[in-house]
Amino acid sequence: MIYSVFLWRKGFRRDNHVTYLLLLLAFGLHTSAMALRGFSLNHCPVTNLYEATIFVLWTIVALYLLVGVWSRLRFLGAFASPWLFAIGVFALMPSLDATHNPRPELPVAWTSLHAALMSLSYGAFGLSSVAALMYLTQERNLKFHKLQAIFSLMPPIQRLEAAVGRLLLSGFILLTLGLATGVVDLAHINNPQTYRGDLKIVWSALVWLLYLGLVVMRWRFSQGGRRFALGAIGSFVFVLLTFWGTNVLSPLHNP
Amino acid sequence: MTVVVIGLSHHSSPVVVRERFAFAEARIPAALQSLRDSGVALEAVILSTCNRVEVYAVTPLEPPDAFTALREFLAVSHDYRDPLTDEIYALSEPQSVEHLFKVASGLDSMVLGETEILGQLKKAYDLALKCGHTGSRLNKAFQRAFNVAKHIRTDTNIQRGSVSVGSVAVELAEKIFSHLSDRNVLIIGAGDTSEKTARALLSRGARSILVSNRSHDKAVALAAELGGRAVPFEDWSGEFANVDIVVSSTSAPHYVLDRVKLDPLMKLRRNRPLLLIDIAVPRDIEPEVNFLENVYLYNIDDLQSIAADYLKQRHQEVARCEKIIHEKAQALLSHYGSPPGNPHPRAAFNPQ
Repeated sequence: MIYSVFLWRKGFRRDNHVTYLLLLLAFGLHTSAMALRGFSLNHCPVTNLYEATIFVLWTIVALYLLVGVWSRLRFLGAFASPWLFAIGVFALMPSLDATHNPRPELPVAWTSLHAALMSLSYGAFGLSSVAALMYLTQERNLKFHKLQAIFSLMPPIQRLEAAVGRLLLSGFILLTLGLATGVVDLAHINNPQTYRGDLKIVWSALVWLLYLGLVVMRWRFSQGGRRFALGAIGSFVFVLLTFWGTNVLSPLHNP
Repeated sequence: MTVVVIGLSHHSSPVVVRERFAFAEARIPAALQSLRDSGVALEAVILSTCNRVEVYAVTPLEPPDAFTALREFLAVSHDYRDPLTDEIYALSEPQSVEHLFKVASGLDSMVLGETEILGQLKKAYDLALKCGHTGSRLNKAFQRAFNVAKHIRTDTNIQRGSVSVGSVAVELAEKIFSHLSDRNVLIIGAGDTSEKTARALLSRGARSILVSNRSHDKAVALAAELGGRAVPFEDWSGEFANVDIVVSSTSAPHYVLDRVKLDPLMKLRRNRPLLLIDIAVPRDIEPEVNFLENVYLYNIDDLQSIAADYLKQRHQEVARCEKIIHEKAQALLSHYGSPPGNPHPRAAFNPQ
């Protein structure tokens, strides 16, 4: 994060391989820690809020490392790392790491797949909002003739806009698959009354509709640019602010 | 034996003097031959461009004697009899080698950091090499100069950025559009700067050029020259759905494009970005159009301010480049076995 602040101050005139390497190193350590926890639990470590948050962070970094192969998009790391740091610190709150076992009637494989797909989708939405933030910064600099717009090594705004759209669409597909596996999971619960009206299910449907709206706006009505970028950021901020609350209030997800 | 340089450049003399000393390319081999025959130089290279005329030589003479003889050579070769004061400069090691490295790197050029001079220097060296007028000392110095120029280009910001209106416009386009290869350019007003800007965009791969001008014949002529298509002046707004970059430079006393006119045209473009470059004075495009979404408007002052800032940035790099050059020159001279420093670093001639 400190190196990202340095890049901001330098107007993104330096290549960003240092951020990439630092995040690659952090990703290696993060993967090892998650693997150790997963092996000790004998299932994918996404059973409580701490694990889910950490898994979303892992997904964002994994996607960034993939996208960052293209040198100009490597600057996404500088925009992402303050978010990653803040969410990581939040995840360390002790109450989030409460121990609870998975529901015995649900198949472990499906539950893990559901949780992993949901986390991957939030990761894609997170990186999409980071790309949108980068788009808005560069777009503003170009509009107001800031010299940083031309001197920085950031990619053209049209490419950033495409990155926002592709990441958001990937997130939407993963979210749809994640919700579908969740529905398969629900079929294993004998008494449907236990999940009818569950806040997390209602919230997930709302998030799906929100992102469906953005996908339709982009690909049906050609609404790109500033409005779409603001939509991507706004939607992810909504997810961030409500994810924990709805999880805590959902008996299905917080037994 | 010492590497020396004597010459004139845009720093030391006006064009009226420089043009009198210029060597036509065809004359250079004979001039080099006569210089070597005179015994003043064992090896020599003549560099003659619009901004400089320089003779690089390896001389067996003491530098002050060599400078006098080389000055005579320049004056006699061009039948120059007018008095000269500071117009001619002369340098011996290590300054001569450092000067060669500076010239190769564009540090001594009129547009700081430009790269054209490197090509001209290579051509001058190749000509002398081909005619057998260089030896181990100049070969090493020139090869090292080309390496230093490459090193400076990659490791410093001296050649970074655009310093002309046309190339700044291209850079802006490259910050907005993913590729220029599928972009259409509309030129409104067939002026000189807009033509240069269009050429710069074409050289970076812009797909097509449309030209519109009050005098349609002029538009047709420019379109033919640029390989584009002429559009009647009354119809140019009809092309807006398909163009991505507009360069406007009409002499109209009022706005040619305003917000009221552009707003509905942007809807036809399905919100694709539009770069407007207004190089007309008085301005052709109402500044308020910049408040429309996906519209990026730059006028001549904006472009010139970016170019000036690039130049300022280049000037800030000079000290770094000079340090590299100094180190590289010292390394080369220690390889030659010359002592560091020199009692005759620079001289200006007064032939009286």
